[in-house]
Amino acid sequence: MNKTYDVVVVGGGVIGTSCAYHLVKKGFSVALVEKDDIAKGTSSHCDGVALIVDKMPGIDAALGYASIKRFLELKEELRYDFELHQRGSLYVCETDEEMEIASKYANDLHKEGYRVSVLTPEQLQEKEPFLAKDLKGGIFSEECLGINPFKLCFAFVNEVKGKGLDVYAQTEVTNIKLNTDNAVEAVETTKGTIITKRVVNCCGCWAPEIGKMVGLNIPIEPRKGVILVSGASFPICKQKIQEFGYMVSKFGMECKRPPELEKYGVSFTIEPSAGNNVLVGSSRNFAGYGTNAEIEIINMIAKRACRFFPILKEMNCIRSYAGVRPFMEEHLPLITDVEEVPGYYIAAGHEGDGISMSPVTGQLISEIIVGEETCRDIEPFRFNRYKK
Amino acid sequence: MDEKLKDDVLVCRCEEVTVADIKEAIKQGARDVTSIKLRTRAGMGLCQGRTCEALVQQILRQEIGVNPQEAGFSTPRTPQRPVTFGTLGGENFNE
Repeated sequence: MNKTYDVVVVGGGVIGTSCAYHLVKKGFSVALVEKDDIAKGTSSHCDGVALIVDKMPGIDAALGYASIKRFLELKEELRYDFELHQRGSLYVCETDEEMEIASKYANDLHKEGYRVSVLTPEQLQEKEPFLAKDLKGGIFSEECLGINPFKLCFAFVNEVKGKGLDVYAQTEVTNIKLNTDNAVEAVETTKGTIITKRVVNCCGCWAPEIGKMVGLNIPIEPRKGVILVSGASFPICKQKIQEFGYMVSKFGMECKRPPELEKYGVSFTIEPSAGNNVLVGSSRNFAGYGTNAEIEIINMIAKRACRFFPILKEMNCIRSYAGVRPFMEEHLPLITDVEEVPGYYIAAGHEGDGISMSPVTGQLISEIIVGEETCRDIEPFRFNRYKK
Repeated sequence: MDEKLKDDVLVCRCEEVTVADIKEAIKQGARDVTSIKLRTRAGMGLCQGRTCEALVQQILRQEIGVNPQEAGFSTPRTPQRPVTFGTLGGENFNE
């Protein structure tokens, strides 16, 4: 292999495949370099939804919303079926304190123009009859999509492979060569050198390694999440349901929660999958790059799930799995050029929102590289935020 | 396990995946058991690949010559056999 491409995208997860797809659509020749196989890392060890009601009002929600709109276009653009379903999503509250914070949060989102409403306990039961009867209420958004995350990666690749995109799987990047102006000149891999002026680091949890190759410190840490899979059954839930404690855990909100749950950031989530299973989560803890699902966490998730969704007590769990998510302190991804290294771009650090924000991330990167006006303000996602 | 299987033979009973589906996944670039699973759901069902894994390895060998070691195995995960969420939660949930 000794080839020349307009852009080299490193990382074959949902962010890398979306960037590759959107770049080819802009007319670039693209090499997608992946150390294992497409969707082998985080993008196949996660759940698959695009929501409004798990984003913070402001840029977070705006980026999420733009992605939902883009997903609906992609459903028409991509021929490979990535199992997109339009569903609603629910947050449910266990205590009056949570209900108060949730109502305020819903109100903030509503003010920004999103269709989010507050539900009484009775309305909750109407929407999801298998929810525990003692909940205090919840918030509902009809703008929510279910997506098969790894099929989405295959769909992005499938559409442009051989038509501008070449995929180099089982190929590891070993070095990024810069010229005397500190600009990108070539990408060295275990299968040879690729000549290019532009490289996009889409390596999620592993982005820091690819950053080091050009002397950058990218502050991303792997944060683990465990998910349980039920056996196939009749539909027990119609949409993504989460306890509001999930938001408390995700954003470190001020709210009393049982301390044993906080140890592993455990909160109840459930979503239907296209295989007639449900995926039950969730947890968040820092434990390196390992993807073991510890029995202690499994135990807590199952217990929490039975509390919110009592029918699960009698239902089978057939598997657990865990993945690492690219955590950033600011809860905002990097979608950016890098001033000190011309031709080096980063799209990483979405934590648990990678699937959900992948369409707009790919679109933004393609616009940044073309040098045209971007569809959203990219200032909050720029690498130079660490200089301020 | 050298016999060539016909395209309509069911490889994964739980998820209803045929030999033809596996071959298509290989054509798309799958090179091991996990990659086949992601593309076809073979091994994702109730039995978690106990029945189909060896067959998937066999087809990988016959189609593209990968040996069982390269084909790999599905990652073993808790629980090793189906168990209720109630039991996993470790409590007597009877109210």
